[in-house]
Amino acid sequence: MSTPFTPVLDSLTRQRGVRASLVVSADDGITVDSNLQIGQDGARVAALAASLYRKARKSAQAAGLGSTGFMQMEAESGRLCVIGGDEIVLVVVAERTANVGLIRVEMLRAAEALA
Amino acid sequence: MPDDLRLWSEELARDPSSLVFLPLAETLRRQGQLDLARKVATRGLERHPHNPDAHDQLARIHADRGELQSAFDEWDMVLRLVPGHLGAIKGMAFVRFQQGRLDEAEQLLMQAQDGGGSDEDISAAIAAVRRSSGVTSAEVVAAALPSDPHLLFADLLATDQTAIMLDKDGLVLAGAYYVGNVDVAQDVGASLSGVSDEALRATRHLGIGAWCSILFETEAATVSLAPAPGHGAAAGGLIVLAAAPATPLGQLRRLLDRCLARASAWLESSAL
Repeated sequence: MSTPFTPVLDSLTRQRGVRASLVVSADDGITVDSNLQIGQDGARVAALAASLYRKARKSAQAAGLGSTGFMQMEAESGRLCVIGGDEIVLVVVAERTANVGLIRVEMLRAAEALA
Repeated sequence: MPDDLRLWSEELARDPSSLVFLPLAETLRRQGQLDLARKVATRGLERHPHNPDAHDQLARIHADRGELQSAFDEWDMVLRLVPGHLGAIKGMAFVRFQQGRLDEAEQLLMQAQDGGGSDEDISAAIAAVRRSSGVTSAEVVAAALPSDPHLLFADLLATDQTAIMLDKDGLVLAGAYYVGNVDVAQDVGASLSGVSDEALRATRHLGIGAWCSILFETEAATVSLAPAPGHGAAAGGLIVLAAAPATPLGQLRRLLDRCLARASAWLESSAL
């Protein structure tokens, strides 16, 4: 079933090295829509990513740094990228070798389209 | 800071005899742009050959480049211009220690102590040099560390950069996070409490190995987090580094590595 988010998620998942992309409710971390590879548990990815992003936003507010944009967590063999607004956040899970610069640009573009 | 760099560069272009080459070279040095820093400092010295701060500046740049003898010579020049200059004597002692000339290093440190009164760092450095026959690198590093934990990262950072080390509960172990004149490190720490655990859970769940860093962009800064060294009070904690948004991400990563190394040395020295 297609949703208003499907084209955005499809576009993100087409990037080389991207394993999953999700649109998530910013407040409670519930998945709104997702494009996952087989074996991924979207609900947990969504909840964990949204929670990390909320903490980043809270710390930025505590430090008076203004609004938060792109966030990425780098791990030994993969990356979690998040960007968001007040209501929804966009999450991408990618391989470590993926081009994070391209993913970032695509996510910024997608976030604008969803705003 | 990028604005400052631009303003200083413009002023220097307008007035090549301006002293703004000093903060400009210092900022470039702290950013790791050592070739450019040396160029700026050398040109400044051509205009101000008797300025001790300019020689001190060039000495620090040489030291960062590993050009120890050149650094020593510049600090020697500072001493000629300002006899008893504490920073120059400490710098020369550092060079001699690095060169393995421990007697000379100790003599210089004694000289610094005589000239500077009760500097705890100098006393600790002297003690470390005296144990030179069996000295460990950790002890030497410990002696060179700032005694005030708030200043742990101060000499690594430019004026628009800040770093703190948090324990697993988000409590500040070292460093400072200034917004204006107010240290908001505790507030930042509290808001980041639990990040390490969540990052660990997320990476486990995704099967992507241990997390190495988290980076997020804000309007006023790019913030980078890394797991604190995994021993002592910092186990499960975080290193938090914030820098101007224009800071190249490669520089940020390098700076984060340097903060991690400093934090690790400090934690080891606390355990000595």
